[in-house]
Amino acid sequence: MSAGRLRYSPRVLELFRTLPGAGALPAGTGEVVTGEAVALDRGAWVRFEARLEGGRVADCRFRAFGCPHTLAAAALAASKMVASVPADAPAIDARLLARELEVPAEKLGRLLVVEDAIRALLAERPRVQ
Amino acid sequence: MSAAPGDPPVYLDYAATAPLDARVAAVMAECLSDPGLQANPSSAHAAGRAAAPRVERARAEVAALVNAPPESIVFTSGATESVNLAVLGAARASGAANRHIVTSRVEHRAGIDACRQLEREGFAVTWLQPSTEGRIEAGQVMEALRPETALVTLMHANNETGVLTDLHAIAALCDARGVPLHADAAQSAGKVPIDVAASGVAMLSFCAHKLGGPKGVGALYLRRRPRPAVQPLQFGGGHERGLRSGTLALHQLAGFGAACAIAGATLAEEGARIRALRERLWLALAGAAPLWRNGAREPSVPGILSVGFAGMEGESLLLEIDGRIDASSGSACNSASGEPSYVLRALGLSDEAIQGSLRLSLGRGTTAEEIDCAAKILVQAVARLRTALPPGALERIA
Repeated sequence: MSAGRLRYSPRVLELFRTLPGAGALPAGTGEVVTGEAVALDRGAWVRFEARLEGGRVADCRFRAFGCPHTLAAAALAASKMVASVPADAPAIDARLLARELEVPAEKLGRLLVVEDAIRALLAERPRVQ
Repeated sequence: MSAAPGDPPVYLDYAATAPLDARVAAVMAECLSDPGLQANPSSAHAAGRAAAPRVERARAEVAALVNAPPESIVFTSGATESVNLAVLGAARASGAANRHIVTSRVEHRAGIDACRQLEREGFAVTWLQPSTEGRIEAGQVMEALRPETALVTLMHANNETGVLTDLHAIAALCDARGVPLHADAAQSAGKVPIDVAASGVAMLSFCAHKLGGPKGVGALYLRRRPRPAVQPLQFGGGHERGLRSGTLALHQLAGFGAACAIAGATLAEEGARIRALRERLWLALAGAAPLWRNGAREPSVPGILSVGFAGMEGESLLLEIDGRIDASSGSACNSASGEPSYVLRALGLSDEAIQGSLRLSLGRGTTAEEIDCAAKILVQAVARLRTALPPGALERIA
């Protein structure tokens, strides 16, 4: 059956259509950290890549396989991480993303994959690019 | 070019339902407005007797599509009811000693659920496993037959892959063992030639809305000699020789008859045209490689192409093309059951590969321009979503 527009909030549709922050970090200097979570049994695979400058996230990109909610949540999370200090990033969790994107309950498991990727990113030791 | 902004989407979901043919709609409207066709065709009075011949004309038109005698056609509300009547009705009429059914894992839900109901009633069911190309072979049926087998029920054409089953070979085996064969022809009637007399099937289910006819009407062909025993599922008036009680909806039947007449008259020409368009679509989709085809290319009905795109998630792909192409996905998020397609799973596909699969089904209204447009949209959609994939996902999700 066709995907119904009514099943997605306007914010999900906007992020899905534009995918801001999708792709690899542009070449540059500084510390780069990556975080990835793979849960194909839940239909999601999310990877973040962030550049740290002066103790803050100067840039953050994502790559993802998943449903429109997963892609939109990864895009939203990547945008929220830019300019944040890594210590604040744990506040960007599945609950926050679900609330802002109006994600239905049956999709929360996929947003946990996004959250896991954020945590993996924070847990990684910064490396110089 | 279709599917430009503001244009209607390219409709590639004919296997779900075909748009009502304008000629069929005209026939139905005529029946609804003609004062001489408003009586119950089963009534004995003059008005009823005036309506009855229109029903029999429709019955003859429907029967002709599958080369059946008109009196062998029982009208129903659709293929789902026909399948239920055939499977449940024949099994329950088969006697206490015959409590075994043979079917496959790739049947339409109507067949699957009817057989599951029989399991709950104490029948043993053998579920045949298709090949990776989606075929059920006659040899598998032969091995599955038992002395107590009451019925073999199989799809003629699979609704997801379009792969055809060799009814002639299977019917010959069944006939030799005295077992009736029921074929679900919802996807094949009017798409490929069907000759029930030559094929030897005992029962055949099909419906109007896949052929450009109205929804809500179908037929069950019941062989006359030897006639399979079938118990009715509903009671109240004894219509359709006691097998399907309920006042006949003349306009629906007339529409069904018209749809069958149109399909029969154009079957060879349209079949070749649609098959060529399907292959044109498949070739044009090479721009979205890596991709694969689900099910054997042939033998198949002309209009169904099940295609998988590596690294694609079905729901995202459907949303990406939403409003530009109407198609169906086998992915978890878009199936009514919430489960990945059991048909594609039976072919051995992984859940990830199933998620990346689309069923694109063509029909009478499909044009070459639409096919080119749809291919272009799909190639672009797949390319855009792949730009966001994590490294390694393209190879792993296939």
